[in-house]
Amino acid sequence: MSFLRNMASGLRSLFRRERVSHELEEELNGFLETATEEKIKRGMSRPDALRAVRLEHGNLEVTKEEVRSAAWESFVQTCWKDLRFAFRMLRKNPGFTVIAVLTLALGIGASTSIFSVVDAVLLRPLPFPNPQQVVTVWELSADGRRMHLADPNFLDFREQNRTLVGLAQFSTGPESVSGGSEPVRMNVAAVSQDFFKMMGVEPVQGRDFTADELRLHGTPAMIVSHGYWQQYLGSRADFSNARLTMGGQVYSVIGVMPQGFDFPAGISAWISREQLYGWGPSRSAHNGEGIARLGDGVSLKQARADLSTIARRIKSQYGKGTDINSGYMLIDAAVVPLADALVGDVRAALVTLFAAVILLFLVACANVAGLLLARTVARRKELAVRAALGAGRGRLVQQLLAESLALALAGGGLGTLAAIWTTNLLPAILPADLPRQQAIAINGAALLFTLIATLVVAVGLGFFSASRAGGWDLNEALGAGSRSYSAGSQKARSALVIGEIAVTLMLLVGAGLLGRSFLRLISVNPGLNGEHLVLATFVPTTPQTTNASIRPVQLIDSVLSRLRGIPGVQSAGFTGELPIATGFASGQFLILDGRQPPANFDEWERFTQTPGNVGDALYCVTSADYFRTAGIPLLRGRLFDERDGHDSLHVAVISQAVAQQKWPNEDPIGHVIEFGNMDGNLKPLTIVGIVADVRAEGLDRPVTPVIYVDYQQRGLSGNASPMILLRTSAGAGPVVDAARSIFRDLAPDVPVKFSTFADEMGGWLSVKRFLLVLAGVFAAAALALAAVGTYGLVAHSVTRRTQEIGIRMGLGAQRGDVLRLILGEGARLAAFGVVIGIAVSLVITRLMSSLLFGISAMDPLTFAVVAVLLSAVALLASYIPARRAMRVDPMVALRYE
Amino acid sequence: MADKSSELVQGTLDMLILKTLALEPMHGYGIAVRLEQMSKGVFRLNAGSLFVAIQRLQRDGLIKGEWKPTENNRRAKYYALTDQGRKRLSSETKEWGRQVAAITRILEAS
Repeated sequence: MSFLRNMASGLRSLFRRERVSHELEEELNGFLETATEEKIKRGMSRPDALRAVRLEHGNLEVTKEEVRSAAWESFVQTCWKDLRFAFRMLRKNPGFTVIAVLTLALGIGASTSIFSVVDAVLLRPLPFPNPQQVVTVWELSADGRRMHLADPNFLDFREQNRTLVGLAQFSTGPESVSGGSEPVRMNVAAVSQDFFKMMGVEPVQGRDFTADELRLHGTPAMIVSHGYWQQYLGSRADFSNARLTMGGQVYSVIGVMPQGFDFPAGISAWISREQLYGWGPSRSAHNGEGIARLGDGVSLKQARADLSTIARRIKSQYGKGTDINSGYMLIDAAVVPLADALVGDVRAALVTLFAAVILLFLVACANVAGLLLARTVARRKELAVRAALGAGRGRLVQQLLAESLALALAGGGLGTLAAIWTTNLLPAILPADLPRQQAIAINGAALLFTLIATLVVAVGLGFFSASRAGGWDLNEALGAGSRSYSAGSQKARSALVIGEIAVTLMLLVGAGLLGRSFLRLISVNPGLNGEHLVLATFVPTTPQTTNASIRPVQLIDSVLSRLRGIPGVQSAGFTGELPIATGFASGQFLILDGRQPPANFDEWERFTQTPGNVGDALYCVTSADYFRTAGIPLLRGRLFDERDGHDSLHVAVISQAVAQQKWPNEDPIGHVIEFGNMDGNLKPLTIVGIVADVRAEGLDRPVTPVIYVDYQQRGLSGNASPMILLRTSAGAGPVVDAARSIFRDLAPDVPVKFSTFADEMGGWLSVKRFLLVLAGVFAAAALALAAVGTYGLVAHSVTRRTQEIGIRMGLGAQRGDVLRLILGEGARLAAFGVVIGIAVSLVITRLMSSLLFGISAMDPLTFAVVAVLLSAVALLASYIPARRAMRVDPMVALRYE
Repeated sequence: MADKSSELVQGTLDMLILKTLALEPMHGYGIAVRLEQMSKGVFRLNAGSLFVAIQRLQRDGLIKGEWKPTENNRRAKYYALTDQGRKRLSSETKEWGRQVAAITRILEAS
C-alpha cells in the first residue's frame, strides 16, 4: 500500500514537476514568512528578522533541493540528466562513438539472433498442453541402441504400465494422395488409438477416429492438417463429402487439425494404424515410434523404471534362446522427453554456436572496454575538475555508468535491428531439417535477452571505466599534463587485448576444427558417383499386398524404357533406397544353404541361436541398372538380368562388407539366404554377385553391409522409398522437364519429386555446413576485432612514446630498432594471448568432439595454423603504428609537448 | 546556529512529528514551533529536515496534508494524522518506552 502511494506520489512529481515544485515553494515560503513575522512580533526589525530566519533555516532554493533530493524520483531525474549529458558527450566524439556502438551492435545483434534460434529450438516448450509430460518410448538393444517398438512389445507396454496416462504408436512415410484439388506427394502418419488424446490436441473441426475406424479393415478415415485443408480442400467448412485416395484405399476426411499442430513434423494427414495394418506378431520388427504421456506427478525416472520392468519381463519370456547379441530383441526400455528426442544431435551444434557467439560478444566488449579506457584516461582531468567542484565519488560513478549505458543502449538498439534483419534472412541459411525452426523470431524472450545483455554490458563497462578512472587523487590528476598516462591503465588495456587474442584463438580453433572435419567429410567417397545424377522420387499408388505390386513394377518398367530415350540420359535405373538421400531399413537375415527355413517360432529360435546362421544387413530393393547408373562397381559374379523373372529362382547381390563378415574365406556366390522380415517374402535368395560397398548410413558412418534384391522378383516392399535414378551427360534441367512429362503421361496420379544427388548431399550436410559457416563468420569477426584492438593499443602507445622515440633516435637508434621496439610490443601481446588461448582451447575443444569427424579435438595442425595466423594478424596490426613510429623526426618529437 | 535536530536519536524525528500532530492538524511552521516549545528549546528543526520528514511521512501514508487558510489569512498546508499514523504513533511510543526503560536500567546498574 504505502509502496504504491510512494510510487504514485513520486510519479506525480516526475510528470507534474512544475506544479509539485510550486506547491513546495509556497509551503516553504509560508513557513519562512511566518517565522519572520514571529520574529518581527518579538521586536526585531524586518531586515534583521529575515537574516535570522535565513541563518536558522538556510536559503529557500537550497531547502527545496534538500527536500526534493530526499525522494526517489530525484534519482531518476539525475539519471535522466546524466543520460542526456552522456548522449551529448557521445555526439561530440563521433569517431569513438561510431566504432564502439558498431562493435557492441555486432556482439549484441549476433548473440540475439543465435539466441532466437536456441530459444525456438531448444528452450521454448512444445506447443502441447503440459508438454513436459510428453515422452518418446523406445526399446533398447543389447548394444545400447534405441529401437522403435515392435507391435507385441508395444501392446505389452501399453497394457502393463502403471505410470503412463497412455501410450500410442505411429509410423510415417511419403504417400501419394489424390482426391483433393490435385494429387500430391505428402507425408502421412499412421497413428494408433489415443494418439491425439495423448498429445492433448483435438481436431479443430470434425472429430477423432471412432471404434469402427480403429478396427482392422474397418472404415478408412483420415484427419488432415490445417495446411492440407486450406490448400487442397479449399478450406471448406463441410468436408463430409471429401474422399481421398491413398495406397488403393479411399478415405473419408473426418477432421482437420488446428493450425500449428505439427507432430510428427511435416505430416499432412493422419490415418488409423489399427485400421491399416492391425498388429503384427514379430517382437523384433521395430516398426512403430512410441509416444506417451506421463501420469500427473510421475517422474521420468519412475516411468523408465516401470517400462524397464516390463521390458525385462518380455525378454525373459520371449527372448530365451534367441541370440540377443544379434541385436534385434529388446533387453530394456528407454523414456526420452519428446523435446529432447526432437532436437537430438542438433543440440550439440546449437550449444556450440551459442558458445561461439558469446565468445565473440566477449571480444566485442573487450574492444569497447579498451576504447573506453583510453577515453577515460584522457578525461581524468575533466573528472578531477568535477570532483573538485563537489561531485562525490558515487555521483561520478553514476555519470560514467550513464555514459556506458548510453553506449550500450545505442549498441543494443542497433543490434536488435540487425538481429531482426538477420532473423528474416535466417530461413535461407538454416538447415532444412532443423526441427522447430518455424518458431524462430525476435520475440519477447529474445528481446529480454537483448535487454539483459545490454544492461550487463552497460554496468560492466561503467564500473570498469570507473575503476580505471584514476585514484581520485585530485592533485595528481589536475596537475598532470595532457600527455599524462598511468602505467596501470596501459597494463589494463594490454590485459584486455591479450584476453581478446586468447578468446579469438579459441574461436578460430573451433572454426578450424569444424572446417577440417567438413573437408574430411566431403572427401569421403560415398561409394557411388554422385555427379550428374538426377533422382525422381515417387510413391506408386498401390495397396501394400504382394499381388497388386505387379502394377507398379510394370509402371516402373515402362517409365524406365521411355526415360532412357530422353536425349542426354546415359542410363536410368530403379532403386528403393539411395545412400545419403534415404534411410535404409535394416534387419536380420538367415543363412539357409540348403536347409529348410524355420517353419515356426520354436524352430526359428533354435536356428538363430547359432551366430553363423544369421547376419545383420541393410535391405534394398533395386534393379541391375541402378548399379550401372549410380556407378557402384560389380566386383564378382553378376547383377540381376533377364534370367531373374518373378517365378524363377530369387537372387540377391551383396555388398563386399557382407561377404567379408559372413564368408571371409570362401566365395559367397551360390550361398542361399532368407531375408523375409524385410518384405514378408520368405522365398530364399541365392547370392549371385558382389558389389562394392557404399556409405549407406551417411558419410560419417562406417560402411554397412547391404543386401540388394531385384524389384522385378520381390516387388516394392513397404519400406522402400521408390525412385528412379538418371545419369545425365549434361545439365539436369532439360532432362527433368522431359522426365516430368513422361511421368505425367504414364502415371498422372503419381506425384513425383525431382532432385539431384548434389541437392540431397547438400541437405544431408546442411546442419554441418550451417554450423561451419556461422562459426567461421564469428571467428572472422573476432579476428577483425582483435586486430583492431591490437592496433588501437599499439597506436596509442606510439603516440604516448613519441618523445621517448625521439630521444632514442636522437641518441642514435636506427629506424629498424624503433620498428623492433614497437613490433615487440605487439608480439608480446600476441604471444601471451596465443599461449593462454591454446591452453584454454585444449580443454574446451574436447566438448565439441561429437561434432568433429576424422580429426582429434586437439588436432595439432589446426592449432598451429591458427596460432600462426593470429600472430601474423597481430603483428600486421602493430606494423602500421610501428611504421609511423619509424618516421618520427627526432627534432619535432623532442620539442613536442 | 547549529541544527539541533541532528542531535536527535536517529528515527525519532518521525515519532515526534506524529506526536505533535496527535492533538490537532498543524502546518509545517506550527510543527516546528510546537516541537521547540514542548522540548523547551532543545530540539530546533530547520525547514529542510522538517519537510524531508513530512514528505516521507506523507508518502508512507501516516499523515495527510490539506491546504487551508491560517489565522493570519495566509494559505498553508495543514497536516493531520491518518488512522495508520495514529496506530504507528502508539506502537512507537510503547517501543520507545520499553527501550528507554531498558537503557535506563543498564545505565543505573552498578
